[in-house]
Amino acid sequence: MAGKIIFKGESDLPLFPISSGDMCWNRTGTWRYIRPKYEDKTPPCNAACPAGVDIPVFIGLVVEGKYEEAWNIIREENPLPGVCGRVCFHPCESLCNRAHYDEVLAINALERFVADRALDLESRVPIREARKERVAIVGSGPSGLSCAYHVARMGYQVTVFEALPQPGGILRMGIPSYRLPKDILDKEIADIQAYGVEIKTNARLGGDLSFGDLEEYEAVFLATGAHISRKLNTPGEDLEGAVSGLDLLRDINLGKKVRIGGRVAVIGGGNTAVDVARAVLRLGGNPIILYRRSRDEMPAFDEEVSGTLEEGIEIRYLTGPTEIIGQKGRVTKLECTEMELGEEDETGRRRPVPIPDSHFTIPVDAVIAAIGEEPDLTFLPEGIRVEGKIVSTDNGARTSRKGIFAGGDMAHLYRTVAHAIGFGKRAAISIDCSIRKKNVDSLLQGIRVGEDGALSIAKYLSEVARRRADHVVAFEELNVAYFEHGERNERTKLAVPERVRDFREISAGLTEQGALKEASRCFSCGLCNECENCYVFCPDLSVIIDSGAVKYRINYDYCKGCGICIAECPRNALSVEKEAR
Amino acid sequence: MKRVISGNKAVAYGVMLSQVRVVSAYPITPQTTIVEELSRFCAEGEMEAKFIKVESEHSAMASIIASCLTGSRSFTATSSQGLALMHEMLHWAAGGRLPLVMVNVNRALGPGWNIWTEQGDSLSQRDTGWIQLYCEDNQEVLDTIIQAFKIAETVYLPVMVVLDAFFLSHTSEVVEIPHREEVDQFLPPFEPKYPLNPRNPQAYFGMCSPDYYMEFRYKMQRAMEETVGVAKSVDEEFGHQFGRAYGLVEPYRCEDAEVVMVTSGTVTSTSRVVIDRLWEDGIKVGLLKVKMFRPFPMEDIKRVLKGVEKVGVIDRNISFGHGGIFAQEIRSTFCNENGRPTVFGFIMGLGGRDVTPEAIEEAIHVTLDNARPKEEILWIGLKG
Repeated sequence: MAGKIIFKGESDLPLFPISSGDMCWNRTGTWRYIRPKYEDKTPPCNAACPAGVDIPVFIGLVVEGKYEEAWNIIREENPLPGVCGRVCFHPCESLCNRAHYDEVLAINALERFVADRALDLESRVPIREARKERVAIVGSGPSGLSCAYHVARMGYQVTVFEALPQPGGILRMGIPSYRLPKDILDKEIADIQAYGVEIKTNARLGGDLSFGDLEEYEAVFLATGAHISRKLNTPGEDLEGAVSGLDLLRDINLGKKVRIGGRVAVIGGGNTAVDVARAVLRLGGNPIILYRRSRDEMPAFDEEVSGTLEEGIEIRYLTGPTEIIGQKGRVTKLECTEMELGEEDETGRRRPVPIPDSHFTIPVDAVIAAIGEEPDLTFLPEGIRVEGKIVSTDNGARTSRKGIFAGGDMAHLYRTVAHAIGFGKRAAISIDCSIRKKNVDSLLQGIRVGEDGALSIAKYLSEVARRRADHVVAFEELNVAYFEHGERNERTKLAVPERVRDFREISAGLTEQGALKEASRCFSCGLCNECENCYVFCPDLSVIIDSGAVKYRINYDYCKGCGICIAECPRNALSVEKEAR
Repeated sequence: MKRVISGNKAVAYGVMLSQVRVVSAYPITPQTTIVEELSRFCAEGEMEAKFIKVESEHSAMASIIASCLTGSRSFTATSSQGLALMHEMLHWAAGGRLPLVMVNVNRALGPGWNIWTEQGDSLSQRDTGWIQLYCEDNQEVLDTIIQAFKIAETVYLPVMVVLDAFFLSHTSEVVEIPHREEVDQFLPPFEPKYPLNPRNPQAYFGMCSPDYYMEFRYKMQRAMEETVGVAKSVDEEFGHQFGRAYGLVEPYRCEDAEVVMVTSGTVTSTSRVVIDRLWEDGIKVGLLKVKMFRPFPMEDIKRVLKGVEKVGVIDRNISFGHGGIFAQEIRSTFCNENGRPTVFGFIMGLGGRDVTPEAIEEAIHVTLDNARPKEEILWIGLKG
């Protein structure tokens, strides 16, 4: 600061009091006792995604019309966006902060939109340098495909062995095409094959293929799923017309001629039961679902149950089958008992208890059991530990036998496509670590999304990839004054009479306009999307806009630590810390 | 282009034609349609300007103080309680020597809650250092806005352009809207003396000790004195280019007049009609319209009223404990003069009550018929 300035008279003075020079010498940063900093945090959707997809980032790219880049962001973590955009149970939406504002974001619909936009695209996420090691994957369901894709991206030679004549596992054999058209699945499998993944069909482990054949591989990932339908354990299960749900779906999906008609009782409350009933309806049958608990306990996804009811399929709750009755070896009747709900069981659901003397029979032409699936573990060699009907694995997807990894439905009770994809990815990382002799256990925590989310390949493959704090952003931490209210943009569905005629896809994707509108509803919780609020509001002009990866920077020479940038950040992408003085 | 538009629309056109770059305003009856029109102009790209939404008039003024400092021509409009809320910021604008233009639509202050015209709101801001110009019709409103920017940017003082609630703000008249290019020719872009620039950050409006504070105030007063001449030449230049000039004051039929009535705002128009009629009856009464209230154009007023025996001043306002404010100003103008007129101070039309031709005629007769006012304040139209 200069010494005192003396003005001789009013004519020397400026028009109003103003410093005669610049004020850069006055480093107001010395006044600061709290320090703002840019710190991206974990968005709840991202933390909730079992496949670890970086949701707000791909949605941000949709807003900008960069669909291909959005596609690649999803595929960084998940090679099946077209599949997931149709069949995922979207736990991301359940945790979307928008729920506290108006309606949750239609993330699943946006994922499908991006995948559908990419139907003609072949661009790829980057592949690491090629390596000579070979990896065998048994099973081409979502877990196997996910593992194959990620392992291939890491440069390994991958062979997938599939027991059935066509790849896709449960995606092809279990999910009816009105939910997941086969061409979408074919396209995404072809995208995975484009990374050099070889798929061998009609190669059943325990059949033509033996464990010995796999010894030449550096690592083996087992992902054979859970496709043995549980038995009803009632008399009459061997009658003609009593079939298992998954078998029926598999036959339909393999294009076999399926004879099913008349009154068909479908037993169960899970997704298979619902899929079976709707498939029967499309084949001309008259299905009824019998479930021993109530709607609240149904494990089937809510949307699927609603779709079932929309199509006029009756669901009879609190009803348990006791005997399948037949004439001349064919099913004619089903005897049932009424149930009531008792104490909670180990799954947290109330246990169904038969009401004495409540037996009744209904005339039926077929009974389909869809009360759950279990893995077929008969082919496993010695030394692989099984616990409670599933293969036991550790955090690194390792079985008790060295070099053998397992995932998906055969190793876990989280039986969703998204979880299977996540487990496949986990195995891929673990396989890479095992081949490169890295300690997978020590790095797992560091590559999670948030504190306990899925693993992120982006984090694993790149030290600097989208650094974020683990903290999951809560609604209260947003400044929602900057968001407009807006309705959720939903996919349209075919009218019921049109959709039940055959297996055509029920849901139509979002229009481009709808997708753009929907994408722009995303809060981008915890992630700076360069809205410039901090820049606009900083009273000290201390937010500096740089070009480069981190766009904004704080000039701590002058930042007084007022905290306005933090308060005005709509999405909690700034944090505060105490100034160390 | 001639159009039939309200006074508030005339304001908006004046602002648009003046190439204002920043508008910040908070809506208040009867000013609201100005804000609506300007926000539309901004949104539709008819004006290349930012419209800053704010939560109060205080913030509106604070916003345009800042935008004006950066060198952007800036504008706001308000009325009544809104202007009162701005009071503190008015000092900052004037003391900061910022060439802002603001429109105030004259409206009575509450309570009782009243939305109709009265001059108390703007006259309460007399000593803030703002130039004040009162308009008589919608054409004058539009023209005065354009002139106001030129005056402000010459003397570095803010200008308040004042119009009557409803009688002008919401009443449509034929208005000639000048061409943009012509206005550009008249009003060059604003080049600030001390532009606020982040690349050369200076401290504005800092602490000023008793050593120099007085000098800064002296400079403001000198700028006000200079304004009289500047405003006159701006008006003349405007008249030369557009064919319309208004003067700081306008004498109407004052030659040979026995008494002269002093008016401002829309009362002037009504008075013109009354006076024309009285002349037909042989009653010699003149009219002096005062457009400029601050700085008060004393010399121009003296020139017209010197030698007039009696002057009646119609005030649509009151300074409680003293009387009509224009009357006080006229009295003080002549205080040191020999042969000064006798001043009759009328209070009329408060809170938007009609100032009818009959009421004006009554005031004229009181002035004519009495040698001296019976009371310091002469209330016209007061009930019971």
